[in-house]
Amino acid sequence: MNSDGHTPARTAAAFSGPELLRRLWPLLCLVAIIVLIGIFAELAPTVVQRRITQGLIYLVAVVGLYVFVGNSGVLAFGNVAFMAIGAYVSALLTMSAGAKGIFLPDLPAWLQTAEWAPLAAAGAGGGIAAIVAFVVGYPLMRLSGISAGIATFAILVVTYVVIGNWSSVTGGQNSLMGLPIYVGPWTAVIGALVAVGIAFAYQESRSALLLRASREDEAAAAASGVNVVRHRLAAFVIGAFLSGVSGVLLAHFLGTVRVETFYLDLTFLIIAMLVIGGMGSLTGAVAGAVVIAALTELLRQAEVGVTIGGVSLAAPGGLGDVVLALLMLLIILFRPKGIAGGKEIPWPFRR
Amino acid sequence: MIVAETTTEPLLDLRNIEVRYGAITALRGVDLHVKTGEIVAIVGPNGAGKTSLLSAVAGLVKPVSGSISLSGKSLAPVGLEDIVRHGIALVPEGRNIFASLTVEENLQLGATSRRDSEVNTDIGRFFSTFPILGERRNQPAGLLSGGEQQMLAIARALLSRPKLLMLDEPSLGLAPKIVEQVYVELEKIRDDGITILVVEQNAARAFAVADRAYIMSHGQFALSGTPADLRDNAGFDAAYFGVSMDSESRDGA
Repeated sequence: MNSDGHTPARTAAAFSGPELLRRLWPLLCLVAIIVLIGIFAELAPTVVQRRITQGLIYLVAVVGLYVFVGNSGVLAFGNVAFMAIGAYVSALLTMSAGAKGIFLPDLPAWLQTAEWAPLAAAGAGGGIAAIVAFVVGYPLMRLSGISAGIATFAILVVTYVVIGNWSSVTGGQNSLMGLPIYVGPWTAVIGALVAVGIAFAYQESRSALLLRASREDEAAAAASGVNVVRHRLAAFVIGAFLSGVSGVLLAHFLGTVRVETFYLDLTFLIIAMLVIGGMGSLTGAVAGAVVIAALTELLRQAEVGVTIGGVSLAAPGGLGDVVLALLMLLIILFRPKGIAGGKEIPWPFRR
Repeated sequence: MIVAETTTEPLLDLRNIEVRYGAITALRGVDLHVKTGEIVAIVGPNGAGKTSLLSAVAGLVKPVSGSISLSGKSLAPVGLEDIVRHGIALVPEGRNIFASLTVEENLQLGATSRRDSEVNTDIGRFFSTFPILGERRNQPAGLLSGGEQQMLAIARALLSRPKLLMLDEPSLGLAPKIVEQVYVELEKIRDDGITILVVEQNAARAFAVADRAYIMSHGQFALSGTPADLRDNAGFDAAYFGVSMDSESRDGA
């Protein structure tokens, strides 16, 4: 039977080789796709290479959003706040003491002199995002439906306002510059692989299964003994960690952080990617990020225009946003489960 | 009113339960007891309060007054997700299977409260009883037929190894032949030592297996006794169809 690959049999006490391969198949396919994208970036011109890198960083954020929204079925609009937290934490820990002296003269001394290694700072960025998610998630995970959506949106707004006004630590509305730029295509590929790996491991876990049951029917899951709040919180924290890491990568790709980067535009983009790809599966999250990133780049080039035989043809400015919004509408109307249809990549052979 | 005598301590004991939804009173002072090994049926028209009664026992709604105890221990402090650990499993109306999860995952969910290693053995045994479900173990449960979904919902409830299995309208929306199968299974489950409390509109079917039955009307028990007694009771039709009660509007859930 060719099942959808999302839900392999779990009864066998020990997985035989082929069974293990079958179970890991969706993950292996996604890994292969991401590595191929990396190879393509390697061969592409610099501008395209940068776009692909950025797309892969967004992919990490979309996967982070998917871990919570996909498994719990609860709306969340606040994940970009965790990206911002990750970005600022890593920026403050890695910027040179000299640069911090110029931009942030009022920093506490220990932070002023901190110059962490990139990996440690990235871990701290994701980790602090996860801790914040745990603290705010603890009361919020009791909410469902639109009230959960509004509450998580409030996290975004509060984070935005705090970062925008906490001038002594974040620089307020000013950009922080002089971050070490260590994120290129292959760093982004590694980030994407880690994100997909964590998300897949999570969704195969017992906690995720119980959470998906609560997505289907909260009362019936609770009546089966599922502690819905606990499992939601676990997914929320893991998703926030990945979002935080995505923010770290973005910060060290651009070399600068600005509070405006982490607000409504990025929130819309990440949600559009997940909705268009399909929020019901990890494959959907990856597909949405890849397809939208590629499409946005094509449209951007169309806006720049081409010159054929002395005649310059260019699409009107703003086309990219319009197409993105239209695409989201069309997907919601005609394929509500997104490109991937809520399924993982199926095992191609008969069992 | 016929009152069934209590000889041994009941497994489930409800005293003077009152449930309200805002201004609406769904249960008005209900007393119920279920002894170990019995099948007890609660029948009555729509809105009589049957589902509210099961919801109160399962912890889905909190009664405003009255006490519920299982084997003499009060269930009042027990939260919804812990009720199943105390040995009560509910098969809700409309079956409430997890449609996009596979058949097997649905069954595993039934065993959420268990910590032992025999879950897979139990699932395997269920698949040998219902080979059709075994073949479809990796398919989304939403693709099963209504009867198969009902069997799956019952199996899921049994996987928590309950002392008391509660079913809400297990015959609803099923073909007569399938209803027959469901009830044959219920008798087997009782013979395995599990006590059953079943709520039904299909009084005839429920009476055929029940040891005792209660007729519910307007949030109260109008009659109770053995099915044979109830069938002979002149008040049965009146109570069941709700015509003898005062003409207050239907106020149960």
